[in-house]
Amino acid sequence: MIEKLDELFVIFKEKLAPLSEQSDVLNLKAEYLGKKGPISDVLKSLKDATNEERKTIGSKANILKTEMQGLVNTKLQGIELDTINKKLDENKIDISMRNSISVNDTNHGSFHPVNIIQREVEDIFISMGFEVLDGTHIEDEFHNFEALNIPGDHPARDMQDTFWFHDPHGPEEKKKLLRTHTSTIQVHGMTERKPPFKFIGPGKVFRCERTDASHEMVFHQLEGMLVGENISVSNLIYFMKTLLSEIFKKEVEVRLRPGFFPFVEPGFELDIKCLICGGKGCSVCKQVGWVELLPCGIVHPNVLKAGGIDPEQYNGFAFGLGLDRLVMMRYGIDDIRHLHGADLRFNSQFKDY
Amino acid sequence: MLISIDWIKDFVEIPKISPKEIGERFTLATAEVEDIISSGEYFEKVHVAHIESIRKHPEADKLNLVTLILNQKGDKIEVVCGAANVRVGLNICYAPTGTTLPGGLTLEPKKIRGFLSEGMICSDEELGFSDNSEGIIELPENAPVGQNLIEYMNQKKDVLLEVDNKSITHRPDLWGHYGMAREFSTIFGAPLKTPFDAKWMNKLRAEFSTEKSPVTPVVDTDSCCLGYYGLSLSGIKVADSPEWIKARLNSCGLRPINSIVDISNYVMLELGMPLHIFDRSKIAGDKLFIKRTGEGLDFITLDDQSRKLLPTDTVICDSDGPLVLGGIMGGLNSGVVADTSDLFIEVANWKAAEVRKTSTRLGLRTDSSQRYEKTLDSNLMERTLFRTLELIFELNPSAKVVGKLEYDGSDFKSVSPLTIKTNSSKIERILGKEIGHNRIVEIFSALDFNVEAKGCELLITVPTYRATKDIECEADLVEEIGRIVGYDNIVPTAPLAEVAPVRLSTAKLIERKTRDFMVYNASACEVMTYPLVGDKLLKKSQWPSLNGLKLLNALSEDADRMRPSLLPSILESIAVNNKNSDRFKIFEIGRAYFDDSKSFSREEDHLVIAYYDKEKSCYLELLNTVERLLGALNVPFDICDKNPKFKNVLAPDEWVGCHPHEYLNVRIMGKMHGAVISAHPILLKDYKVKGNLSLAVINLSAFNGRPLKDKTKYRPLPKFPSATFDCTVVANINEPVGNILDCLKKVKIKEFVDRKIVTVFDLGEGKKAVTIKSTFLDPSKTLDSELIKCAENTILATLDKNGYPLKS
Repeated sequence: MIEKLDELFVIFKEKLAPLSEQSDVLNLKAEYLGKKGPISDVLKSLKDATNEERKTIGSKANILKTEMQGLVNTKLQGIELDTINKKLDENKIDISMRNSISVNDTNHGSFHPVNIIQREVEDIFISMGFEVLDGTHIEDEFHNFEALNIPGDHPARDMQDTFWFHDPHGPEEKKKLLRTHTSTIQVHGMTERKPPFKFIGPGKVFRCERTDASHEMVFHQLEGMLVGENISVSNLIYFMKTLLSEIFKKEVEVRLRPGFFPFVEPGFELDIKCLICGGKGCSVCKQVGWVELLPCGIVHPNVLKAGGIDPEQYNGFAFGLGLDRLVMMRYGIDDIRHLHGADLRFNSQFKDY
Repeated sequence: MLISIDWIKDFVEIPKISPKEIGERFTLATAEVEDIISSGEYFEKVHVAHIESIRKHPEADKLNLVTLILNQKGDKIEVVCGAANVRVGLNICYAPTGTTLPGGLTLEPKKIRGFLSEGMICSDEELGFSDNSEGIIELPENAPVGQNLIEYMNQKKDVLLEVDNKSITHRPDLWGHYGMAREFSTIFGAPLKTPFDAKWMNKLRAEFSTEKSPVTPVVDTDSCCLGYYGLSLSGIKVADSPEWIKARLNSCGLRPINSIVDISNYVMLELGMPLHIFDRSKIAGDKLFIKRTGEGLDFITLDDQSRKLLPTDTVICDSDGPLVLGGIMGGLNSGVVADTSDLFIEVANWKAAEVRKTSTRLGLRTDSSQRYEKTLDSNLMERTLFRTLELIFELNPSAKVVGKLEYDGSDFKSVSPLTIKTNSSKIERILGKEIGHNRIVEIFSALDFNVEAKGCELLITVPTYRATKDIECEADLVEEIGRIVGYDNIVPTAPLAEVAPVRLSTAKLIERKTRDFMVYNASACEVMTYPLVGDKLLKKSQWPSLNGLKLLNALSEDADRMRPSLLPSILESIAVNNKNSDRFKIFEIGRAYFDDSKSFSREEDHLVIAYYDKEKSCYLELLNTVERLLGALNVPFDICDKNPKFKNVLAPDEWVGCHPHEYLNVRIMGKMHGAVISAHPILLKDYKVKGNLSLAVINLSAFNGRPLKDKTKYRPLPKFPSATFDCTVVANINEPVGNILDCLKKVKIKEFVDRKIVTVFDLGEGKKAVTIKSTFLDPSKTLDSELIKCAENTILATLDKNGYPLKS
């Protein structure tokens, strides 16, 4: 009987091996393991056998049954996997056909480069405790000039630098103009808070100037001001050095030299050691080794007064940063007019990934 | 401005350091040196040589091969020369190879028609002695062969510093070499010579008589003249200036003309105050009137240009009419010429702002106006006049002063000098550096400030030439110390400050969040367009309000007013980009400007989004973006249909650009603060844009002033299962599916918690099938099947009643 069982198992395996349809496997299973199958027959025939025989043959038959069941399950799983894989093969997609290589790639956005840099600079200052302020573009001459210690006969107040809505020499009170610098934000900032305070004011400014590759009538500045007690030139240098090292992501050497701006005294031009040549002299720094970067200085007492602050008790520093120039330096942009051009061939280069 | 170091050395010893270092020190302490130019180096190389023999160039008729004896040793060289006056026995100026001539040419060994020529024989023009010349320079027989021109001709080499004019606009005292020399003296700690002292003045004053002078100035106090000195002279012989004057004028960029004109320029370059010298014979009458023209007139200036003068321009007139445009330029007919023998010297001072205004208006910026517009010190007039007189005597020993020195104008001498109180420890505190009281006093003294010290307290008297507008208050004094000590020597330190949290304004937060959302989530590209627009742009977009806030002095018609909306500019950008791309999404966060009767103008920050697709409509995608964006911003809003009662200025109804159907308002706090529209094809036709364009505009300023709140309300997950019910109803094809859901919102069953669209299927014949999924939930218990059945029936009945029958 044992031999018969072994033989049955061999035949079963031979029959199972070539099957590839689920139904055929199930039929084979029913044929062998069903109530009328050969194994059942063997087991049924045991009623005439001895106890000893019953024990050995019975257990052998049961083991075979389990093994067969196992083989069937494995076979079924294999068939299922093959079926699925076959489907997957049929539905293969081209995984190289990504947005990035498609003509109509509209799946990535881009930030305007000025805003990338502006945000970076804002974040540096926010991390050092500066507020971020904004103001209107249309201002009156008091906030753009007088409050900044720029007297009535100063050349900056002539027609040729400033866009006016009213005749600058006309009789109206509070003549309106387009702000020529973000320093107007300083004036409002001062009148709205009490020292000590520190803030920056980024934004668009306007100059009545013919445009070319490096000049724009609309451009971007970032103004900064810190007012407190006993603020010194030494403090100003500290902040400027920190700021510039953060912007350029490396230690930068700075130097201050006298510069004249009515709203600061002492006033400085801040130079950084040329990042291209390291100070040896090259075409970028015009062989000087230093690149002029931003004007800054100790806030003029008249400006503090105009902002409602007692210059005897408080002082502070202020600076102005030309954002467009930083943007152009960072990305090597050749023409400032691209910034307002709204041409996607330009804008879409500043991707978010 | 060009500063000659040679000239500076007349007044101060400069340490022996490289010109580059001099330039750097000056840049750090005083004003930016833009360039350092070495001049006259060639005088060291060019030397006397003797022509020994000449032979014809075999290849060229007009060229000769000239053998030169170069030095006493008798070294010889053969050069090619084309000059007609070349002849044997002549002494000439020879420039060897390696010489850089004033024209910029550096001589190199060069083959001329097959013959190697090393160096050249020079003409006047080649050595910068004149503008043109014929032939080579012929030197006298006794000229020592081999001697260079520095020794032989007493020529000088010089170093010129080119100082950025912008960096000395506030320093009228630096527009002459003497003032500059004072800076060098302080920077290098070398004493300043003071040749122009009282003794010197008295010596020259002795030349004046007490008699009435032939010409007296009369200053109208109403004019822009602050003071006017006049001195008459006779016995003048106008000639060429001596080499040293010519050389210095040339170095500083002024062309020598004749000895008298050159002296006036020389004194201006030396002392910083311009002056004017008349040919006295050309002054009609015995008075000069300094006054406003009173009437517009045409005046021909020295440069032979007719200038239109206004009634307010100040001129200097004789009895016949204007001779000089005050402080700016002389007239064509009163200047000194070759045969002038009588002079009238004018040294005057003018109101800075008026000189600037007139010269700017006329486009006539002269060496004179450039200096006067910096606000000069009237006290410098006498020194200027005396120095002029000194030089005239030097060149014209026969010259005589006629009459006395005349003056008219304001009594500037009675103005007491400016004094400012300060304190050395305060100066140190503001600079953030220990300097020392004595050093501070020393610097002030070197800069010609008078110091009275009492302990740390300082009473500083400002020299008049620094007090015209440069030095006004204590802060200005701090700068004087700081720049001389050197800002480089200040160590950076952080200030002691209170630590306080920084809060971004709502506007800033909204702007940042919006920008991030649009880029990261909507995948749109941010652009910027000009805030200034023109008639053409607005008309092309057919924007309903063309006026805008107009500029008085626009640079062009295309940018002469503030934009009332970003949409017209964005349309322009669509037209550009549509040429390169079939599908794109852009946005701009920018400002729009409006008239305001109270405060003149009002500004709003607008977000404009534009989705363009050549093939399919992008309206829904844009609408979804806007809805998600406003959701992400956590601001209250709703999206609603056009309503004739509520105008939307952001996308005005009457604008041709609005699509008749694809138009929805964004309502924020009851007001129309946004719109999502599609652009009308008729407008796109004008822009030659084919395809679909949808636009959204949102006034981000509408959210200002209200802090952003996170309104999320968390609800615990339901403990009991919900049930759903799907039904399909039939509706007209044009019926918005939103309406179907809206009618279900009115069903008041508290367990009926949600309703959504599953599918929409076009049935043809103007009908569609809409499948709706309704959700029922009771958070407190398992739903009762009776209740569900009842609710389902109510839903179906409601739908049916509203004209959406169950699909059979």
